[in-house]
Amino acid sequence: MSILLNKDTKVLVQGITGNIGKTQTEYMIKSGTKVVAGVTPGKGGEKVFGVPVFDTVLEATNNYEIDFSVLFVPARVAKDSVIEAIESGINKIALITEHTPVHDTMVMKAYAKKHNALLIGPTTPGIVVPGECKIGILPINMFCPGNVGIISRSGTLAYEVAANLCLVGIGQSTVIGMGADMVAGTNLVEILELFNLDNETKVVVLIGEVGGSQEEDAAAFIKNKMDKPVIAYIAGASVPSGQRMGHAGAIVEGGKGSAKSKIDTLNNAGVKVAMMLNEIPLLVKELLS
Amino acid sequence: MRFQEYEAKEIFKEFGIPVPEGIVINSDSEIIPAIEKIGIPAILKAQVLVGGRGKAGGIRVVENLEEAVEACREIFNKKIKGYHVKELLIEKKLEILTELYCGITINRTLGRPVIMVSSEGGINIEETAEKNPNKIFTLYCDPLVDIYPFQIVNLVKNLGLKGDVLLKVSQIIGKLLQIFNKYNGIIVEVNPLVITNNKQVLCLDAVIQIDDSALFRYPEFQEKKFNQMDYSLQRLEKKGATYVQLEGNIGLICSGAGLAMATMDTIKSFPGLSPANFLETGGSITPELMEDCMEIVLERNVLKGIFINIYGGINPIHEGAKGIARVIKDRELEIPIVAKALGNKQEETWEILEKAGVYTYKKSDTHGAINYLAEILHLEVKG
Repeated sequence: MSILLNKDTKVLVQGITGNIGKTQTEYMIKSGTKVVAGVTPGKGGEKVFGVPVFDTVLEATNNYEIDFSVLFVPARVAKDSVIEAIESGINKIALITEHTPVHDTMVMKAYAKKHNALLIGPTTPGIVVPGECKIGILPINMFCPGNVGIISRSGTLAYEVAANLCLVGIGQSTVIGMGADMVAGTNLVEILELFNLDNETKVVVLIGEVGGSQEEDAAAFIKNKMDKPVIAYIAGASVPSGQRMGHAGAIVEGGKGSAKSKIDTLNNAGVKVAMMLNEIPLLVKELLS
Repeated sequence: MRFQEYEAKEIFKEFGIPVPEGIVINSDSEIIPAIEKIGIPAILKAQVLVGGRGKAGGIRVVENLEEAVEACREIFNKKIKGYHVKELLIEKKLEILTELYCGITINRTLGRPVIMVSSEGGINIEETAEKNPNKIFTLYCDPLVDIYPFQIVNLVKNLGLKGDVLLKVSQIIGKLLQIFNKYNGIIVEVNPLVITNNKQVLCLDAVIQIDDSALFRYPEFQEKKFNQMDYSLQRLEKKGATYVQLEGNIGLICSGAGLAMATMDTIKSFPGLSPANFLETGGSITPELMEDCMEIVLERNVLKGIFINIYGGINPIHEGAKGIARVIKDRELEIPIVAKALGNKQEETWEILEKAGVYTYKKSDTHGAINYLAEILHLEVKG
């Protein structure tokens, strides 16, 4: 088993006829993903690698059963496209698009919540079930099947950590990138809950980074509700903090957000925190043996 | 994008929010006419985009013309937290009865705007928030529903205000929220929001920061932002990359901010090595973008080596490699460059880079790749 995705998941690609949409659709199909339809307004009737293209999501959902929509659309239409997917009855959405305005993300997040839909991203690299399928942009040659769940705010760091685990013979059940924008459609805690319920996942690696307070929230969840061991890594311990302007951000975060705050909070919750990237495989290996 | 205080106050005025009368000057020769127009006592405020400028000597109250000339010269010759002062805002000093605080920002975890008010406005607001959080009152906005005026009045009533002042403060906060929403704000803040002896309510300070990702909606701001950057930074920004100059000796090009930060952390753990910059390519790598990345990294002439850490997920790294190779050839570079480039089309990428004289590291561990660079530089290596 895996979380959120498997080889039977029927996937829609919004923005399928763009350069990135086309290239990534090919990669997804080659990795075993069931891409059943695509959408680009104005391109209805075309085909991309044999996948039928529709003008609207509603036409796609009228013609095909769809479990998951993955979006490669320009940032300025991301909000419209996500809401279109939700309104057409799709309840799992991954928004790959980067540079989405955060006010649009807030609307999408609230909209998804209201309609019980799961929105991963924006700026998510997607989800991969190694050896089986993937949605999004993760390069599958970086992953191998196994029992470690990886959840990461950064995309490329998720690739790196997975590949480093593969080097020592440790595979992954599911790897998911959350996107590290100011606001994420789905937070770390919600995905930890899914990994906690997944029989195939024995250990979870959580890759966070400075900013926001999601890692601190995750620490509380792990301490109180998580049955499986979690290894964490926080990127950015040596990064000089930016020149802050105004006080509002500091008041809202209330001392959270720094690498130190996250590492301390996770340690206090019983999570082993790797201080360097290359410690992660060793810590995971210890837990699995 | 951050606005100078006087620019933010211009926007406030457009929305009918009261601010003190002010004049902006660019040199100390303009101070006398400015003071003659504004009157005495006056406040001189350095226009710099950092917090805590008052504590750093960037704000001065002057009681007469001589004092004004002297203070003006001092501020223009000063660096505030590393920034030269190029503009000075001169305002009339008011008789203040009460200092309030109002800030609107985004709660990142909830993904909602939050309006915060406090009766304890002034420079110590962050301490107040930490020690007496019950003195900060908040109103969370639902992004799908408008905030009504009565909700803001309810919020402001917590500050113990009455009558005309209650309504004036509420109206100002309503307008600040309009600014926050209209311009895709990250922060809209007034500290202090003051009540004067004659029951006027004004914004003494003004902070506006808007979302860079939303700048396409405001071409006038976008242009202004680009004009403030030097040319090489502008080129990178337009292609979706982010660069920050640092003090170290290893130039860095990474795809993804998380990977870039982890790489910096790793480089710092090697004696003698430290990152000369932060550079995140974003997800739109082209040969041209990579050329720009190389050029901006090479602007620092203290480099011992360059480390390239990129993944081919969304990025066509084989295309990026062409740009790197071009710069090496055109500039006849001899500085050691180690590249760890993995993912889609990695073999093609390695071939291009190796032909150009780049040392390629083909395993995924960043630590090992930096060790390899250290070896090439004949530095002490770590096991």
